[in-house]
Amino acid sequence: MNFTIRAATKVDCKDISRMIMELALFEKMTDQVKISSEELERDGFCPNPLFECLVAEVPKENKSKEGFTTVGYGLYFYTYSTWKGRSMYLEDLYVMPEFRGFGIGKGLLSTVAKVAKEKHCARLQLSVLDWNAPSRDFYATRGAQDLTVKEGWHLIRFDGQSLDDLGNDAQKK
Amino acid sequence: MANFIIRTAQPNDVCDILRLIKELAKFEEMEEQVILTEKDLLEDGFGDQPFYHCLVVDVPKEKQTSEGHTVIAFAMYYFTYDPWIGKLLYLEDFFVMPEFRGFGIGSEILKVLSETAVRTRCSSMHFIVAENNTKSIEFYKRRGAADLSSEEGWRLFAIDKEELLKMATK
Repeated sequence: MNFTIRAATKVDCKDISRMIMELALFEKMTDQVKISSEELERDGFCPNPLFECLVAEVPKENKSKEGFTTVGYGLYFYTYSTWKGRSMYLEDLYVMPEFRGFGIGKGLLSTVAKVAKEKHCARLQLSVLDWNAPSRDFYATRGAQDLTVKEGWHLIRFDGQSLDDLGNDAQKK
Repeated sequence: MANFIIRTAQPNDVCDILRLIKELAKFEEMEEQVILTEKDLLEDGFGDQPFYHCLVVDVPKEKQTSEGHTVIAFAMYYFTYDPWIGKLLYLEDFFVMPEFRGFGIGSEILKVLSETAVRTRCSSMHFIVAENNTKSIEFYKRRGAADLSSEEGWRLFAIDKEELLKMATK
């Protein structure tokens, strides 16, 4: 199967939004998706974008059952390590199920790695759900280390009311 | 300690920021892993495309450290993106020199960070904590934080430069 990988443009946001929902469905968390394609356009294609995105396309003759030719995406942004400097975080990597097994996921990841190299990033990080064994294996075979298992790192989140309360908590002291 | 000032770091703070980064790394017994230089911090934090933002804490001259430093704490953060909820604030590092702890400096830094998060329309603040640091995990959980690794099963993965280069050249 022929495919091309390129940087996403504003017009790709509708397809990216569709695939974000498909990935959320796979992760059993669709009720958590609050971002629309318009917000993706605003956040990814403004003067100081919050993320960058790659999309994978197939020719028209290989389009999906519903007629889509944009069949995969990789969404990433730049982070910083106080030890190693510039780093990259791969937030989402997704290929529509009917287009798997053709090297598209590997192609997206390699292109992300190329961008990381061009931007002098020391490291690429990402998160995988513990029950998602195929994804854990996909990254492990490419040299990824599971830092939660290996070093015991846990991801912590403050949001909504807890974020507001944290800000108010210090005043009480 | 009544007097301390939390402010946005300036280019001339990079020397103190690197010193504090190394002190934190020393505490974590990983000092040799810090390969960052003052030049990197300057280019990466104060150039056209900042990769990070930093808060620093000043104390008055009369409270300076034994080596004469008045910058005694820092917090480094940047903005990330969750395609489900949008802009987030990610807290990368947060350190108060041991002799200046217990005066509410850490709590004030967290307050400034959470105010920054809300002001810059972030829906959430994320960071990582080592699982054996139960004291910190309990501290954050009491304040309403969620441990996404325990609660949702998220595992953090890292691919280092060597492996990245292999993939980039395929």
